[in-house]
Amino acid sequence: MSKKLSYGAALLTIAAFIVFVVLRQTSRFNISAFSDYGYLIGLGIRNTIIVSLIALLGSLVMGFVFYLLSISKMKYFVSLVDVFTEIIYGTPLLVLIIVMAFLIGPAFGSFNRNVLGVIALIVYMTPYMKNVYVSAFSSISRDQYMAMDLFGFTPYQRYRYIIIPQVIRILMPPMMNNFSLIIKGSALLNVLSLTEMYYAIRIAQSQTFAFVEGYILLWGLYLLITIPLSQLTKWVERKWAM
Amino acid sequence: MGDVKIDIKNVSHTYDVEVLNNISLLLENYESVAIIGVSGSGKSTLLRIMSGLEKPTAGDVMINDMNVNDEGYKKHIGFVFQSHNLFPHLTLKRNISLILEKTRGYEKEQAEKTAEKYLSLLHLEDQMNKLPKHVSGGQAQRASIARALSINPNIVFLDEPTASLDPILSYEVLKAVEDLKGLGKSFIFVTHVMSFVRDFADYVIFMDKGEIIEQGTPDILDHPTHDALKAFMMKVR
Repeated sequence: MSKKLSYGAALLTIAAFIVFVVLRQTSRFNISAFSDYGYLIGLGIRNTIIVSLIALLGSLVMGFVFYLLSISKMKYFVSLVDVFTEIIYGTPLLVLIIVMAFLIGPAFGSFNRNVLGVIALIVYMTPYMKNVYVSAFSSISRDQYMAMDLFGFTPYQRYRYIIIPQVIRILMPPMMNNFSLIIKGSALLNVLSLTEMYYAIRIAQSQTFAFVEGYILLWGLYLLITIPLSQLTKWVERKWAM
Repeated sequence: MGDVKIDIKNVSHTYDVEVLNNISLLLENYESVAIIGVSGSGKSTLLRIMSGLEKPTAGDVMINDMNVNDEGYKKHIGFVFQSHNLFPHLTLKRNISLILEKTRGYEKEQAEKTAEKYLSLLHLEDQMNKLPKHVSGGQAQRASIARALSINPNIVFLDEPTASLDPILSYEVLKAVEDLKGLGKSFIFVTHVMSFVRDFADYVIFMDKGEIIEQGTPDILDHPTHDALKAFMMKVR
């Protein structure tokens, strides 16, 4: 079976499943109730994208810092990263957001919950981003660095022509997975009344009483963001492959 | 002639244990020098130090009257690693032309032509546009020899170039190296293949436990005087 055909079949399967589920419904299903809330939902989409992008950038930077600490010669830094990582791995994002917004932030004199929420998201993603760097950079052997040294590449040339083209391909898929986690995780910021997608939908739900429909719409919106994103990743991977 | 002058003075090197123990060596008028010995005898370390890739803990190394730690020294040498060590994301041709273009100031076209010339010299005309993972180990290693030659070095170092290859591919690589003898380059190499040492080297250095135990023309392989070399020759035959 050709690739196109098999993807077509897969999409048809999912579509058939959806049609089946829809036809089996007995109660009314009315998604158009949300048409009056276009502005609010648009705002939610915008904020979800902004918050996610900031969290992506922040966790990429923090993850890199943590990666550097984890390979540091100072044992203290290595241990610090380890302990931090263990704690984060066992912490639900929701709990971290609450603790950040209501305990850690105020302890430092900050009460801006939007900012603290995003910081919580960054902190949560940092160990995962660190791992992305670990696996990416370990793919370049010591011998390759020796060869770069031998032929006299400048530091810029090393990164531009040798290291980044190799690392990017390894880095991109797990990084984009993490970005998906961030986008979906940002929904939890609704507990801080940050008007992201979920919060916007919740408000609309409470006024239209279209409860299930709201979630379906929300689902669609997340897919609308994440699917193009993963396609973009694949494109970038291909482009950088050479 | 591609004679090489090696002047090593009191070189010691330590990682966690001592790898080289106060080595001195003065050598002139040889074109092709082999370093042999069991694994862990320090031969690869000595080779890396002579090529300037590693800095010795103590001592000085002059090759052709240049200090190996001098800035410009590495521009004059080629190095072939144990496993080909080509950049995996670049084709064989690009592995060479990138270096010529970025570090030797060649124009793109000239860099490509030079890359093609050296790859052809190593009989890789048909493989030039393939990635290292898409050619055989022997072909990749030959490409890495072409890469080492392409920068027009005076000396080519080879660090067990066939260690990761099966006997047939080893033969293919070593044969290609032997064919390079007319190029006017000097070669310093580490190997376990004694037939290659006999055919190709005009001087042999035998190392054991971080020291040079015996040295001379390849005749020493057939008439070893030191017990360690006798034992070594019994094992490698």
